[in-house]
Amino acid sequence: MQTTFLQFCNIVQAIRETRGNNAKINLFAEYLAALKSDSDLNLAAQFMGEGAFSELSGKRASVGSRTSGLTAAEFCEIDYDLVFKPCRTATGSSSETIERLMENIPSAIEKRAPANLTLTDVSQIAEDLYNASGRDNKKALLWHAWEKMKPTEIKYFIRILGQGSLRIGFETRSVLASIAKAFGQDREEVRYAHMITGSLGKTAILARENRLDEARFKLFHPLSFMLASPIESRSVEDIAKYVAEEKFDGMRAQLHTDGKQVKIFSRDLNDITQSFPDIVNFFTERELPPAVFDGEICVYKDNTILPFQLLQKRMGIKKPGKKILNQYPVLFIAYDLLYTENRPIFDMKLTERRNLLEQITGQFNIPIASQNSLNSTDDVETLYNRALEHGNEGLMLKLKESVYEYGQRRKSWLKVKKPGGSFDTIMMYAHAGSGKRGGTYSDFTLGVSVKDDERYEEEFIPIGKAYGGYSDDELKKMNQKIKALTVERYGPTLGLIPSLVIEIEFDEIQVNKRTKAGYTLRFPRFRAIRWDLGPNDVNTLKDVEEYFNKSIEKERLPQNQNPSFSFG
Amino acid sequence: MRFQKTGYHGLYFPELGISLDGYHPKAKYTFVSHAHADHMPRNRSTRAYATEPTLKFMKLRGFGGSAYSMAFGETLNTDHCSITLYPAGHILGSAMIFIESDTGSLLYTGDYRTPASPATEGFEAPGHADILITEATFALPIYKWKPHDELASEIRLFAKESLTTGHTPIFLAYNLGKAQEIMHLLAPINHPVMIHGAGYKLCSVYDDFGIDLGNYSAYNREDCEGKILIAPASALSNGFASNVRKTRIAYCSGWAANESRRTQLTADKLIPISDHLDFFELITFCKKLNPKKVYITHTPNPAVVQHYLEQEKIDSAYLEMEAEQED
Repeated sequence: MQTTFLQFCNIVQAIRETRGNNAKINLFAEYLAALKSDSDLNLAAQFMGEGAFSELSGKRASVGSRTSGLTAAEFCEIDYDLVFKPCRTATGSSSETIERLMENIPSAIEKRAPANLTLTDVSQIAEDLYNASGRDNKKALLWHAWEKMKPTEIKYFIRILGQGSLRIGFETRSVLASIAKAFGQDREEVRYAHMITGSLGKTAILARENRLDEARFKLFHPLSFMLASPIESRSVEDIAKYVAEEKFDGMRAQLHTDGKQVKIFSRDLNDITQSFPDIVNFFTERELPPAVFDGEICVYKDNTILPFQLLQKRMGIKKPGKKILNQYPVLFIAYDLLYTENRPIFDMKLTERRNLLEQITGQFNIPIASQNSLNSTDDVETLYNRALEHGNEGLMLKLKESVYEYGQRRKSWLKVKKPGGSFDTIMMYAHAGSGKRGGTYSDFTLGVSVKDDERYEEEFIPIGKAYGGYSDDELKKMNQKIKALTVERYGPTLGLIPSLVIEIEFDEIQVNKRTKAGYTLRFPRFRAIRWDLGPNDVNTLKDVEEYFNKSIEKERLPQNQNPSFSFG
Repeated sequence: MRFQKTGYHGLYFPELGISLDGYHPKAKYTFVSHAHADHMPRNRSTRAYATEPTLKFMKLRGFGGSAYSMAFGETLNTDHCSITLYPAGHILGSAMIFIESDTGSLLYTGDYRTPASPATEGFEAPGHADILITEATFALPIYKWKPHDELASEIRLFAKESLTTGHTPIFLAYNLGKAQEIMHLLAPINHPVMIHGAGYKLCSVYDDFGIDLGNYSAYNREDCEGKILIAPASALSNGFASNVRKTRIAYCSGWAANESRRTQLTADKLIPISDHLDFFELITFCKKLNPKKVYITHTPNPAVVQHYLEQEKIDSAYLEMEAEQED
């Protein structure tokens, strides 16, 4: 017998209502183990962790929150703007709102006759939505699907269409743990098979049939990157166990080659080969044996690594012209080797991988990051300062004994980053939160002063939006304060009297012509709520401009002495 | 009948010389619907008229003005109007205030719930009023309460199951009203209950008026393990029962209807039991009373209620008054 979508949704809801990760994993493992067909197993794993479509398919239902909201409003015979939107603001979730309206409103109840849809049925409906174009066609398909569903099914149907998290505190890692548990396999092997196949469904089937060893690494298929933790969060016991490399002011990339062909993948595993023909040429000219490198793409001119902001001019462009190539020449600087002599080597220790990497880069004259041994924290200090002088972001500390922990962020790699800048800003708008912050105002548009700036009429203009860095208590206190400061309401957004001063921290400033200020902040977050400051104390747009110009024009130490990398 | 706001949550009727749920220096009479903080006057010069339980709660919560008790259904005649209190079903002693005068009649609901909470005197309303001033705390169609019996068994089941597995059940419920309603629903289980101090001191009033709260005592950190515990949501972050290793937490409030409360409070179970009426009950009540005009208070979404009343051809307006979101 096939499993129904309702049974699946009930399990999802049960996981949602269970506290404790192991208990959640057990629930899903039991469910998976009881499934009979490959098709059900495949879809159950996929729905839980990837969405209505497998990640590999690259398909999307393209049903936006407006489309499902409008359909729901019509289905329930309520006004979209007047009734649906405030409900969504109150719950902080569009799909939960729809579930509850479907449950509560008599005219919606009348329209529905639950039909025990199977997982295959639901997958087919998603396929139909993928093939349909135009909002009206999608709305009609949603409508017909909902007629056959219960409210819980409708909620999770909408969530799987989003191809993202189901928001039940159960992410890919836990799905993999459930697969391992359900079929008595080793977690690490399941995780590896998933990384190689890129599919939870396939992994589940391989695990059930005891065929996990069939999942093998292949050239030109990207491997998840090993990630670094901030050093503040981890304590380093023995610094001598680490080596240091500079953390380049560039873009992380993985380069695959078999000598003739080259492919480059970004951090999010997208193929970005086309944007960097200069790197492709560099590697094809050298006719390497098959190899996979982990490294960084940087703009490099006149012996100097140039700011990341310049690399951005290359990043979006699919086929860069000659002018751009000459203006912003790039280099791929390798710092790790993942595949050589026709086998993956990420199980080797860093020191051994580094030896092999040095051999290849030496033989073929490929840029390789300089590595320094560490004896004391003073060494870290010296190297860190030099990295900053080079214009780089800081240091990477890498554990010599560590294997390449693909897709993981642990303490084998630690990043020592320069602190970001900070500004005192004014809170201009508060936005209703969603998900776990539903029902509160948790996102804030922050502004800088342009009072004495002849280019602007306003007193303040937005510089960024921050939604983190405060404690629960601070959030509560801000929400109380916001109530009293509200002057306007635009649906889920409140316009505020300028009064609350927020000290924010950010990684970098970028030019952004589409914003009123002309600049945006990279990763803005709260550092402190400055109850002691008022609207006259905030930073001005001129301060922002000055900060930006300083960071761009800062002299960068050329690479002729103590370089951050060398040519093989 | 003219009225205006007084303080954050009170109303003053200049022609009648009375105020509701708030002090006004010119009011000879201040009628108080119930003893929650966002309805209770604080000024010591207040001459408060309310039901006996309400006056007792007010005293326990620090009210220092003069107090005059009124029974439900009893009519008090002033120079300009006559006032009758109707049971509001919200918490013990809660009343709707019905004003009759030469210029017409007005019903002020305070907070109310129909069907009534079992830990109250019930619910009863006049047949008609020209003007209705109603709270609309849960004024969105996403709020529709389950039958009360079903919620009551959920509460009992949660307590029993937790105790069976060796967990100490904690019910997060507001100090006055919700806490005692939960205790009343749990009384048949006959298991010792401990209630957080702020709520404990209010329980005696329930005893006095014959509401069975079961076998209860004040929270005591040292021997609370294995008891059924009742506390406001804020107590958890202040170390309430933090010495007990195995606990299960149920959040009992109308706001528990929103999934987001689960992670915000790290609750094991959300039990959407409210002491307010839901959206559908509100619209039904307005239709039944069929007033010439409805004033809507205590909600961030008056436009939604107005939209539905318009479809029933009932004239309405928003009356901005501050509600305190009780957890």
